[in-house]
Amino acid sequence: MKAFYNRYGFMTLLTREIHRFTKVSIQTILAPLLSNILYLAIFGAMLQTREVGIDGVSFLNFLVPGLTTMGALMAAFQNPAFSLIAQKFQSTIQDLNSYPISDVEKSLAFILGGTFRGFLVGILTYTATIPFVGSQISNPILFFFSICVTSFIFASVGLVCGLILDNFEKMNFALAIVITPLSYLGGVFFEVSKLPGILSYIGLINPIYPLVNITRYAYLGIYEGNIWVHGIMALIFLSVAFITSLIIFRKGIGIKTR
Amino acid sequence: MLKIDNVSKTYKKGNKEALKNINLDIGKGEFTALLGQNGAGKTTLINILAGNVQKTKGIVTIGGYDLDNNSLETKRIIGIVPQEVGHDYVFTIEEMLKKQSGYFGIKNNKNYIDDLLEELSLKDKRKVTARELSGGMKRRLLIAKALVHKPKILILDEPTAGVDIELRRSMYGFLNKLHGEGTTIILTTHYIEEAEKLCKRIIVIDDGKIIEDQPKEKLMGLFSENTRIKFEFDYDINSSDIEFLEEYSPIIKENRELQIKVNKSDLSKVLRLVSERGLKFVDINVDKPKLEDIYLKLIRH
Repeated sequence: MKAFYNRYGFMTLLTREIHRFTKVSIQTILAPLLSNILYLAIFGAMLQTREVGIDGVSFLNFLVPGLTTMGALMAAFQNPAFSLIAQKFQSTIQDLNSYPISDVEKSLAFILGGTFRGFLVGILTYTATIPFVGSQISNPILFFFSICVTSFIFASVGLVCGLILDNFEKMNFALAIVITPLSYLGGVFFEVSKLPGILSYIGLINPIYPLVNITRYAYLGIYEGNIWVHGIMALIFLSVAFITSLIIFRKGIGIKTR
Repeated sequence: MLKIDNVSKTYKKGNKEALKNINLDIGKGEFTALLGQNGAGKTTLINILAGNVQKTKGIVTIGGYDLDNNSLETKRIIGIVPQEVGHDYVFTIEEMLKKQSGYFGIKNNKNYIDDLLEELSLKDKRKVTARELSGGMKRRLLIAKALVHKPKILILDEPTAGVDIELRRSMYGFLNKLHGEGTTIILTTHYIEEAEKLCKRIIVIDDGKIIEDQPKEKLMGLFSENTRIKFEFDYDINSSDIEFLEEYSPIIKENRELQIKVNKSDLSKVLRLVSERGLKFVDINVDKPKLEDIYLKLIRH
């Protein structure tokens, strides 16, 4: 089967994925935005004087890239996962098999739809923080690029979950026991090195940690550790997530009966 | 147009053999009924053609394209109306059909979508979501979705299940029109009279095998001994009066009605015998063989 076969079909599926979440934007955009502003208001205000271990950086400034990354990855994960599970729920999932669109195109349409939603929530989260801390970004290109890469990785993870899970309860379970803890332990709210004992080592294998760190570096211009190591880690996570999602889509798991 | 060679399917789950060496060749423009009991293998066969189920072995060619090597090309040729009604409830009917056209690479399909909505009596529902449609309308929307890319082969898996009589008739008219325009149609149904009315070829699947595949007329001819004749009398008859009809399985109902089963070729002979024996009937009713009887006979064998 050709990897790229029907560009217009691919674009239609991608715009469908975007159209779907914009139709219910109160739930998909506004809700995560509000919860991120709440995080900022509560943690930021309560812990304003807390030391973050980086000279001259306030806790609020420290929090902005973390919240932006977390908002982006959660939204990116939920878009394909929710879309596919909803299609299973509505008995329309097998429609995907009837389109003359290649598996690579279909996977990319779901992943890019999720990436777009993640990027949008990330950027809006950042925008919402401007009244609190101002708009300065040390390296805007890297900042936006990092949000995009984060969204792409977690949209791929969301695609895998959407394919292998068959109901919303399981998706919420995956969110609650995997994605949320990884975010909390990934340096969103505090430095991973300050975690007690074994938890501080989780940063080494937590895909969210390097992503948060790169975004934070782009935002603050100060980096702890080796950015290249984290860059390579991010690239590895991206490749693993994307290739896994392609393999699972190609195998037809969750879509075809074997 | 559609060629199925030695196709078998064994589901991994439960190791169930759903199809056993199916061979089928359906020509361009044919209107075929696929009959069989629940679990006979009809839906498995359709799901293989649709790409929902991976066959275990065999070769399927759709419009000249091999299903394994050119599966994307085959999707442009077939339109599938699935058995289970499912719709996306986020988009309006019009948005849904526009997107459906887009998946097939069709950019401006508004006129054809309008025609389809008109034809399927859904035009005034174009701006609402499928949530607001009745059961029958949801089924018609499935047909519209399957047709937006003008498929050469239309496969309908029980399209009229749960649809009222009037609507069913309008669907028949629509399917006949499509057939008249050259679309190859394959229909599975539980309403045998539907197959009898619409289809020219009848295929019966039982336990994963094709047990009958004949033009409708020929199939019905093969079972013509099923012709039932009912005589009505204005006086009571008894079994001694009709001993000469023994070989035609006579049944007397309410003393004044006689039913026999006759082969078409024996029809004039039977009428002559009845008249010679002085049986004066006041009414006669010839029941032609029904596909339903033939079908039941086939699957009971």
